[in-house]
Amino acid sequence: MKPGLLLALLLCWSLPSLATTGNSGRVVFDYQMNCQGCHTPDGSGAGSVPRMKGHVGIFLQSQEGREYLVRVPGSATSALNDERLAAVLNWILTEFSGDSMNSPFKAFSAEEVGRLRQSPLKEVEQYRLKVLRDLSSMSMNE
Amino acid sequence: MKFLDQLFEQRSRQLAQHSSRRGMLKGLGALLVGGASIPLLPVARAAAQSPGRPVEEGDPSSCDYWRYCAIDGFLCDCCGGTANTCPPGTEMSPVTWIGTCHNPADGRNYVISYNDCCGKSSCGACLCMRDEGDRPIYRPDKTNDINWCLGTSSAAYHCSTAIVVGLAFEE
Repeated sequence: MKPGLLLALLLCWSLPSLATTGNSGRVVFDYQMNCQGCHTPDGSGAGSVPRMKGHVGIFLQSQEGREYLVRVPGSATSALNDERLAAVLNWILTEFSGDSMNSPFKAFSAEEVGRLRQSPLKEVEQYRLKVLRDLSSMSMNE
Repeated sequence: MKFLDQLFEQRSRQLAQHSSRRGMLKGLGALLVGGASIPLLPVARAAAQSPGRPVEEGDPSSCDYWRYCAIDGFLCDCCGGTANTCPPGTEMSPVTWIGTCHNPADGRNYVISYNDCCGKSSCGACLCMRDEGDRPIYRPDKTNDINWCLGTSSAAYHCSTAIVVGLAFEE
């Protein structure tokens, strides 16, 4: 076998293991350690834990909704630093939004997350309900 | 069309002049043998042993079993289930608390999900309280002192599993 072909085969074989290391490995680990316990592995949620799968992208349709994703206590008070929290939020949005994200995705930056998490929500359910109602009336008016 | 005929004829003749059946068999054989030997390489072996496939040693009915490093409750392995499954008649809680444990058999750290089994009164067998990494109740996602039978039809706690979620990320 030619050395070039052997090298190409070796590279193809090792790519999947290389891909699981690096930042993608870290962001999945951060989700597992900080979110998955309640939100479940695929973001389905359970009981009183809201379903993110197929829904979470809706919140990006308004500024209040975007802020909600960072100010919700599970995000704002998590042990993750701003950079890692932004990475987890962006991963959740790209992984779980499905058809619920109908506008171009503007990723969270560490700076934005650091600023918004200074004001964690106190009345989470009320705020979420208001955000969703406002979004619903916006879509009806369009 | 004549051009195409000439081209194919020319190429076929060139191929016939510069290659042999033995040569083709040699190349095919090398490919088959080479392909079959790839899983023996260290890279492939490392990939095969990744998440969810730790080297297993130890007794899952003992508190010392590696996956139980942060457990606080009755072992399902002693209650008619296993470290991965609930006993018959109970329901596994989808909401769970998650930590990491070091596996001495392969020297790696794994993410462990302590899913409680719910719907029956406490099992009462093999009570283990290792609590490594347990945090006070003001960190509700990292404390094992609360009833994790959440999201199930019954909140009655029976026993705990310890399921390997994946490989822990090392900085």
